[in-house]
Formats: sequence, C-alpha cells, structure tokens
Amino acid sequence: MLDQALVAEVLTLARAGGADFSELFVEDSVNTTLRLHQGEVKDAGGGNLFGAGLRLLYGTRVVYAYTNDVTPAGLRDLAGQVARARGAAGETDRTGAGGLDFRRVDAQPLYVARQHPLQAAGRDKLALMRRAHGGAAGVGDVKTVDVNYLDRVQRILVANSEGLWAEDERVWTRLSVTAIAQDGTLRQTGFYGPGAGQGLEFFDDVAPESIGAEAARIANAMLRAGYAPAGKLPVVIGNEFGGVIFHEACGHILETTAVEKNASVFADKLGERIAHESVSAIDDGTIPGSWGMVTVDDEGMRGERTVLIEGGVLKSFMVDRVGSMKTGYARTGSGRRQNYTFAPASRMRSTFIDNGQETPESLIAGVSHGIYARRMGGGSVTPGTGDYNFAVNEAYMIRDGEIAEPLKGASLVGNGAQDLRNIVGVAGDLALGQGMCGSISGSLPTDVGQPHILISEITVGGRA
Amino acid sequence: MTATSEQQLTLPEARAYLLDRARERGVTLEVYGQRTDATSIRAFDGDVSEFKLSARQGVALRAVVRGAWGHSFSENLSRPALDRALDMAVENAELVAPEPGAGLQNWPPPPALDLYGEGLSGVTVEQKVTVALDLERAARDADPRVTSVPYGGYQDGDVYGTVANTEGLEREDRQLYAMQMIAPLVSENGQNKMGRDWQFTREFTELDPTRTAISAVEKATELLGAKPAPSGTFPVIVTGECLAELLALYSGMFSGKMVEEGKSPLAGRLGEGVASPLVTLVDDATLPRGLNSRAFDAEGCPSTPLTLIEGGRLTAFLHNAQTAARAGTQSTGHAARQGIQGTVGISPSNLILSPGGADAAALASGLTGVRLTGVAGGHAGANPITGDFSLQAEGFWLEGGEVAHPLEVFTVAGNILDLLAGIEAVGSELEDTMYGVSAPAVRVAGLAVGGA
Repeated sequence: MLDQALVAEVLTLARAGGADFSELFVEDSVNTTLRLHQGEVKDAGGGNLFGAGLRLLYGTRVVYAYTNDVTPAGLRDLAGQVARARGAAGETDRTGAGGLDFRRVDAQPLYVARQHPLQAAGRDKLALMRRAHGGAAGVGDVKTVDVNYLDRVQRILVANSEGLWAEDERVWTRLSVTAIAQDGTLRQTGFYGPGAGQGLEFFDDVAPESIGAEAARIANAMLRAGYAPAGKLPVVIGNEFGGVIFHEACGHILETTAVEKNASVFADKLGERIAHESVSAIDDGTIPGSWGMVTVDDEGMRGERTVLIEGGVLKSFMVDRVGSMKTGYARTGSGRRQNYTFAPASRMRSTFIDNGQETPESLIAGVSHGIYARRMGGGSVTPGTGDYNFAVNEAYMIRDGEIAEPLKGASLVGNGAQDLRNIVGVAGDLALGQGMCGSISGSLPTDVGQPHILISEITVGGRA
Repeated sequence: MTATSEQQLTLPEARAYLLDRARERGVTLEVYGQRTDATSIRAFDGDVSEFKLSARQGVALRAVVRGAWGHSFSENLSRPALDRALDMAVENAELVAPEPGAGLQNWPPPPALDLYGEGLSGVTVEQKVTVALDLERAARDADPRVTSVPYGGYQDGDVYGTVANTEGLEREDRQLYAMQMIAPLVSENGQNKMGRDWQFTREFTELDPTRTAISAVEKATELLGAKPAPSGTFPVIVTGECLAELLALYSGMFSGKMVEEGKSPLAGRLGEGVASPLVTLVDDATLPRGLNSRAFDAEGCPSTPLTLIEGGRLTAFLHNAQTAARAGTQSTGHAARQGIQGTVGISPSNLILSPGGADAAALASGLTGVRLTGVAGGHAGANPITGDFSLQAEGFWLEGGEVAHPLEVFTVAGNILDLLAGIEAVGSELEDTMYGVSAPAVRVAGLAVGGA
C-alpha cells in the first residue's frame, strides 16, 4: 500500500487552498466477466481498475478530482490541481501545513472469502456456469440460455486529513441466468441472479443448477400468460427481490443525498409515523458475506446496522459525511461509491422490511380481486416527487383469495410516501435479493429484501 | 495494492509497447485506448456544491489466439501491468470457443470530421462556474413555484481515442463537448413536479444557460394541476422527445448481435415491413453536432450513414466486424465499447427518425386522447427481446386537439413494433435529445393507459 508519509504530504498539499478537509481514496480492483450463450463460452474478459480520487471539503462544498497516475508525482500533481480548483469558486485564506499522524481504523473483516476469486482458475468458474446452464437448458419451453459470471476484488485505502487510515478488501461474486422460453411467436424471459460478498464458496450454499432452474421456471410460468389489467388494485408482493419496492419507494428518499436538498418528502418527518404500524425497515451493512456488506464504508467508517423505520415510525436516515454536515444527523457508515471516479454519497447497503406476523398464504387469502407479484424486476424513482415505478417479472391474478392465472407485462407505479402507508400486512418469510443500484456515486451492489407484503392499493400498469 | 514506483506510460506509448510485445509473442492483438479529461460543476442554492476534475485513461486489449477472442483491460499503464493485461487477454482467449474467421483487419481511412471545434483551452474555470451558477439562478428566478433545483450543472470533456492492431491499423481521434443540464422541482397545492432540459455543444460559447433553465421550468410547471388519468386505450400524440426516448430504449433491436442471438423482435425480418410506411430511420455517426458522432468505430472501421428503416421496410441491421462476418455481410461501423471494460459490442451512433409533413396543429387536430411527453422506468419496464413495454408516463389529456389538463403519473403499455406500425402521422419538427436520438412528434392510433 501507499507510503504514509506520501499520503500525508498529498493530503496537506491538497488543503493549500484553504480546504477544511481532504480525503484520498486509492483503489486497485481486479474483475472477471464470463458469458456463456447456449452453453458456449462467448466472452471472457476482465482487468484492472486502478486510480486515486482526492476530495476536498470547503464547508459542505465538494471539490473532487481523480487520476490513474498513482505515482508520487501523479498524486502531488492531483493535489495541486484540486487546491487550485477552489480558486475559481471562492477566496483562499489558509495554507495547509504540518504532518499527519494516522490512526488505523480497526475494521476486522465481517467475512473472509474461503475460495478467493483471484486464486480460482477460469475453468472452475466456467464449470459453475455450465452447471447453471444445465439447470435451465431444455426445461419446458426454454430455447435460449445465457449465463453471466462476475467477480470483483476491490482493494481500497481511505486516508483523510483528520488522520484516518482505513484499508479494506471487498470481494463480490455473482452468477446470473437469463432463460428464454419460446412457443411459436410467444416468448418470455426469466431472470435470476443471486450474488454475495463472498468467494466461490457461495455456490456451495446456492447451487448453480438452482439458479438456472429458477430462471427457467419463471420463463415457463409466464410464457402463455395474458396481459395484466390496468388500474388500482390490491397487490401481494413476493419476498426476496420484492424488496425493490421499498428500495425504490422509500430507500432512496431516506438517503441524506435527497434529504439535504429537501428533495425528500420524508425530510422533516423524523419521529413521525410514515408507514403502517406493521412496517419496520432496516439498512444493514453488517450482514457477513452479504452482497451489500460494508466492513468499512468508502469514507473509512465502519459499517453499521441502521434502523430506518420501527413500527411505522421514521427513526433514521442513511447519512454520509457531507450529509451529516448538512443535516446534523450522525453518520451511519453509508458513504459509498462505485470506484475512485466518484465522490462518496449516502447509499443503501442491505435494505429490507423486517418480518411481521402474517404468512404469505394469509395475505393472499385476504384478497378477493388483486395481483400476486411473485418476482419483481428493477425500478426507478424520481427523488423530488417520490414517484416510482417498477416491473413485475412474474405475476398472477388473485381471485377470491386464491392464486389464479399468470399475467405478463405488469408494472407498478406509485408514490413512496403514499404507498408506504398502504402496506397493511407483512409476513414472516424475510429473504434478501441482489441488485445493482445506480445513483449519484455510481452503480453499487445492494441487497433488497422483505417478507411477503400486502399493499392495499397500488396502480398497476397493464394493458388488458 | 500495486506499488506506485512504476512509471505510467502515456496512451501512445502503452499502445506501442503492447503491440511490440504481442508481435514478439506472435499474438494477434487489438489495443483500444481512451483518455478523458473532464470538468463537471454542480450548483445548489447559488453556490458551487460540487466541482469535479477527472483525468481517466486506460487500454482495452483484444487478442486472437487459435481463432478465439480474449479480452482484458488495464488502467494501470506501467509496463508490468501491461504485461499482465496481455497475459490475461491470451489466457481468456484460451477459455473461449474458437470462431471461424476470427481476426483483425486494417480498415480504410476514416472520413475527416471536426469534432473538436475551437477547443476549451481559452475557457477559464471561472467561465464554467458561471454557467453552472447562472443555470441554477435562472431556474430559481423563472417562477415562484420553483422550490429547489435538485439536479443540474455544467460538464465538459476532452476525449482522446485510439485503436490500433497488429495488422497495421493505427487510428486516433479527439473530440470535445460542453453541456449543461437542469432539473428544477416545482410545487403547487401539494403537487410536486420535475422538468428537465439540457444543451449539448462542441463550442463553449454557444451555451445559453438562461434559455435552458426557463425551458426546464416551463416543462415542470406545465405538469402542475394534474388530474388522474383514465384507464383504457386512447389515441396518442407521442412528442419527439418521448418517441426518441422509446427508440433509445429499443435501439438494441437493430443490433446484429441481438439478432444473431435471437434477442431482437426484428430477427429474421430484413426486407419486411416493420413499421408504418411513414417511418424512415437513419443512423448517422458523421453529423458534426451529433452526441455520438465519431470518424471510426471501436474497431477502427470508418463511419458512414446507414438507413435502418426506409418507408416502413427494414433495410439493415447494425454490425461490427464479427457479427457481419457471421451474418455474411460487411461491418457497418457500429462496433462499440462501454469505456474500456467489457467486450466489443454494437451500438447505434446518432439515430434520426425522419420528419414528416404534419405541423403540431395538424398532428393533434380533433384528437381526444393523450399527449405523451415522457416515460420512465425503461431499464425495467421495457423488454428488449419482445418489444413489450409498461412504463411510468407523463403527459396531458387532449380534448379535440387542445390540451385540457396535465395527467397524474400514469402507465403506458404496448409494444414498440405495434407503436411504430400504428403511426398515422409524422410531425415536421425534429427534436434532439440527450439519448443521441432525434425524432419528430407522431400520432398513433391507440396505446393502453393505466391511471386511476
């Protein structure tokens, strides 16, 4: 890793323009990407992401610069550039001086990979992919199978002018299958893509065959589905990736990035009831080996478990350094960034609605005419308004408390603040699903999660 | 973490070093390099909230070993790191199935395109900051209902690209852009609405922050007073911006790669009617002002305009050298990379749906239905394989061709090919968009709307 004397010099140089705070983030990442199409290896790639980002704070104003030239000369040059950049935005009145005495953040890894991706051979990774392919190929009407494999090992250093020094190694592994079922002109895709903050041992717990089988099951189940109806209906949303509803509808507007700009309808609601009493929600960076695990965040703070909503009452936001300065709330270890090209921002980790008292069966039994959204796709939200939308990948009609015919082409749209109040039933089968969340500081691995929930009324976009 | 004492090469040095090593080892190699020097400035509440300077460069390698492709990349341009990248590309090639005809070529020279303009060297940081501040101030001052400007700012970039290979190809290209974007939030009677506008140019002096800001505020305030949308199937005016957004979501259906893998709803339909006879769609990478213009593609193949749909008939797919070889045709110059990571894929450059003869009044004349101005949620609600979509939508209710009122968030559902086939009239004014797609407004017979 980098020499402490050099880092101290760079952090001090960077403040020559009068900055209150400087922070260096250095990254050396190696990733592998493999793609199997119809059982044949089509793409094999990967490489080395390598660079450093330097952040200055003048009050809450941010100056950020990055470079791939991670040499003593390159870093000194970067420090000089950021120090001068401020000249454009205001007066400079102070000269940085003095050395830094670094304190190392004692962050015991929450999880240590047993089969490290950098130690595994490409052929072993391909073997896992072939098993996943085998789980989907030829099942029912499945005609096309794609398998993608990804691993990423990110080594980072965060050091700042307060003397913080934190190092971390993050490991992510993911296997995803897209199965296409086809019958004449009818075609339907099924997707399933679990991942973890683990090495290849993850696939001892989650068999690759089962990933392929789930993708195939969804494609087959939806192949002959009719179109979903349009209008306002009660909806039961499945567990695991169903948690994307909370992620989109509420998670993003509980990040201080939204709160600090008053672009959140929850900005002034701390301590108030914002959800049905059956709803408790948590954003947790401390789940060992999870996809959203944060041993130390990208500002060098240890990960935390943050209770966002308890019994329907808003308890906390997700807070990064700048968010903390702007809002006054304590940091929650939520400062994250995709890589060195982004300044950190408050972001989700593993975010989920906690278990409740009902069962999936009891929730469905209580609906006379509605929709069961068993598997969700992705979604997005407009932070200023809270309007969100997401796709349903596997859906069924519910008639008289029973699951009926399959439905395709459904999406759910709504407004976070309103729909949170409409979650009227929560089951006890909490599970997490993995996604990539894109926002201001890049694309990040995050878990979404929930048990089965019942929303009393939500707008369904279909066309039947 | 890698030692930092190793000297970092420049891109031309790294390119030469890699090609020399490859020739020594008898490896067929392509080196793609990119360097971007960019500035971005965000303003909030009258002050600069974020100032970002970036210098990012790296190389992507593609090796052919025994007829198979292997990929790798590196942002570390030290000699040992470049050696590792070359090793990795070769090892990856050994994992991949060989492909008949896999190889690289020395393409003819590209067209002369000036995508650099006057450069940004004479523009001071203060001038750039002023654009960001003016943009935000103009939006806040434009209307008392503007409550905040959550998103907006200035950005410029100086982008150098190079492609070279062991067959003797060596290409370099440099382009410049300056742009501004703003999304103000307006509020009235408990309704919050957001509008958005932008400007892209290759000449800094052409940026007009006030105009962009006022336009974005108007787009937001127009949406205030929204009423719930009815559910049902209605005739629809799709604005040029919205149609461009939909075409951008589905541009993958023209990709030769999607077609060969059976993932395009247009697969097997070359030469057939796939849209209304009023539809002509062109891809043109050689427009000086185009967002995605370039003299050559990611493999070095020269750019030339290509007609995809002519009078409703599908006339071509987009190809890179590999998909073209497998399809028994020639590359159309659409090899693309997303930065230096990943593999060589295919993407359109600037897509243009040709304008027709109907002015705005004629287009909407007598129509009672929806004026669709925007969609969201495309990454989840648009199925690229089937063409089906179900999207969050924004727009207005029209009575007898006149705007009656804006609509609360609703959904619109359909299929992109049904939509293109159902076009009854094409507007005369082309709208450029942030998606690199330009389109006029069109009238379609019916789209399914989900509202209250």
